[in-house]
Amino acid sequence: MSAQTAFGAARRGGLFADEAKRLGFLMSLPAQLLLLFIVVFPLLMQIYVSLTYWGPLDGESWIYAYKSLNPLDNYGELFIDGRFWASIARTLFIVVVSVPIEFLLGLGLATLFVDQFPGRRIFYSILLMPMMIVPAVAGYMFFMLFQSNGPINDLVSRLTGLDMDFVWLSDPNLAIVAVMIADIWQWTPLMFLILLAGMMGVPEDQLRAATLLGANSWQRFWRIVLPKMKMVIIIAVVIRVVECFKIFDLLAVMTKGGPGVETETLSYYIYKLTFADLEWAYVAALGLFVLIALSLIAWAALWRLQKAQARAETQPGR
Amino acid sequence: MTGRPIFFVIRYGLILLALVIVLIPILWMGTMAFKPFPEWTTATGDLTWLPKEPTWGNFEYIFTGQTEDLLVTLDRTAERPILASLVTAVLGTAIAVIVGTLGAYAVSRFKVGNNLPLSVLQLRLFPPLAVMIPVMIMWASLGMVDTWWGLALIYGIVTLPFAFWLMKTFFDEVPIEIEEAALVEGCSRIRIFLKVTLPMVKAALASTCLFVFILNWSDYLIALLLTRKDWVTIPVYMNSLASAMGGQMYGCKAALGLIAAIPPVVFGIAIQKYLVRGLTFGALKQ
Repeated sequence: MSAQTAFGAARRGGLFADEAKRLGFLMSLPAQLLLLFIVVFPLLMQIYVSLTYWGPLDGESWIYAYKSLNPLDNYGELFIDGRFWASIARTLFIVVVSVPIEFLLGLGLATLFVDQFPGRRIFYSILLMPMMIVPAVAGYMFFMLFQSNGPINDLVSRLTGLDMDFVWLSDPNLAIVAVMIADIWQWTPLMFLILLAGMMGVPEDQLRAATLLGANSWQRFWRIVLPKMKMVIIIAVVIRVVECFKIFDLLAVMTKGGPGVETETLSYYIYKLTFADLEWAYVAALGLFVLIALSLIAWAALWRLQKAQARAETQPGR
Repeated sequence: MTGRPIFFVIRYGLILLALVIVLIPILWMGTMAFKPFPEWTTATGDLTWLPKEPTWGNFEYIFTGQTEDLLVTLDRTAERPILASLVTAVLGTAIAVIVGTLGAYAVSRFKVGNNLPLSVLQLRLFPPLAVMIPVMIMWASLGMVDTWWGLALIYGIVTLPFAFWLMKTFFDEVPIEIEEAALVEGCSRIRIFLKVTLPMVKAALASTCLFVFILNWSDYLIALLLTRKDWVTIPVYMNSLASAMGGQMYGCKAALGLIAAIPPVVFGIAIQKYLVRGLTFGALKQ
């Protein structure tokens, strides 16, 4: 191929010749194969196993799971499984309380860091540290802090003069609070980081123009900064909601789902079913149910987002 | 926002408060790692905030299995889990970054594999436990449970979305004209990728590696599910310490936690510039 035709091919549609297509195919192949390996095949296997009573102690390969075929039993059971729904409610409770607190704290911190001041860089680095700590290790930090004779009770006692001796991690009401405090400690920095980046991206000339027109800082924040940050806020909140819904490491270390089942989240309940009860077929059905529910939510959210974007495009300038 | 002293005081006051809240748990673990056994809890007196008699005993104990304060010797020391964490995190990172970079370039330049951007994202959407049954069965039947390659492979897969999206945004920013010019010079496309494009995104590639390494190093759940004994990683080993001993091994576990915490914090600060991009799958720049 002469340089001249190569150039022509490149000009017509980016780097778009046949050779390019072939190379592109080869380059994307490893990723596609990995997805096939980890998504398509396991999904089929999960559907199959979920329709049976198969368990790892059956002594037979999963291939023979059809011998205990019971098409809908597992799915019927999950609807009347109180522990499952309680674990979902608990997980949602953690998400609904922690994520908004993380958001507000992150937003507040971001407003403090939006312009330059001495020490900004070093403070910023320190404030980001919690999210870089291994979650299981962070869980252990809070396990130590929340001991009844530990530093948190000690600190509060000294500050208030009262004698605090909460048994945080074994108290049915306080255990979940302790877990949420740990989650907020670890992940507020993520909100802070993302929201600050979004806030720094708000065009300065618009803020200056608003100031000239007599807007005070409160009005600038509500009328310009927040609306401009809409996408960033959505991204930050979605990421945190998705991750918080999976919460496992922190509470696996801090409370192990206890006392009783008081801090048993969806992930932890599945973990117990898998390793303590060895009900793998039921777990497969349960997991599939969660998978479908989350896919529907994600699909609906994407669809609404696209509709909102389309509407924004047809009405320019608002 | 304004130069008025009251705002100055409020700002520094609030930041100071945030710093204290952020640092207390870290410092508690950091100092605990150097406290001798009698200072671990209040059982023998008051709560000690700073070690009265700092010691390396905790580190000695987790690496050699014995120290003067503690009677029980530790039969499984920490070197092996540290090695396991390093090997699997590094290999997992290599898999994710290599596969992700190739795929990202294919999508960014050749518009091939357009399903990839969304397909890889779904690897992050679902709670791992909801989809782990078939993975555990597969890993068992392929003999990959409790092996370094088995854990590295799954690490490479779960962090692939980050590597893919990060590299895609970096490739999207490289002006295509440079590559077209090289094409006119008679360069083959694979050479262009290796000799022209990759060197241009060198720094970004290095940050992606560190970012993905942090994620792999931070895992607890997957190692808990797919390792048993030989290749347990630091967090799994750390959590098993207490149950083997009876009674909390505060100081030793804190020492181990400190060792586990240091690499991600150092790397994280080093790649601060790219953190936002990495964590938002490239949707945002800083």
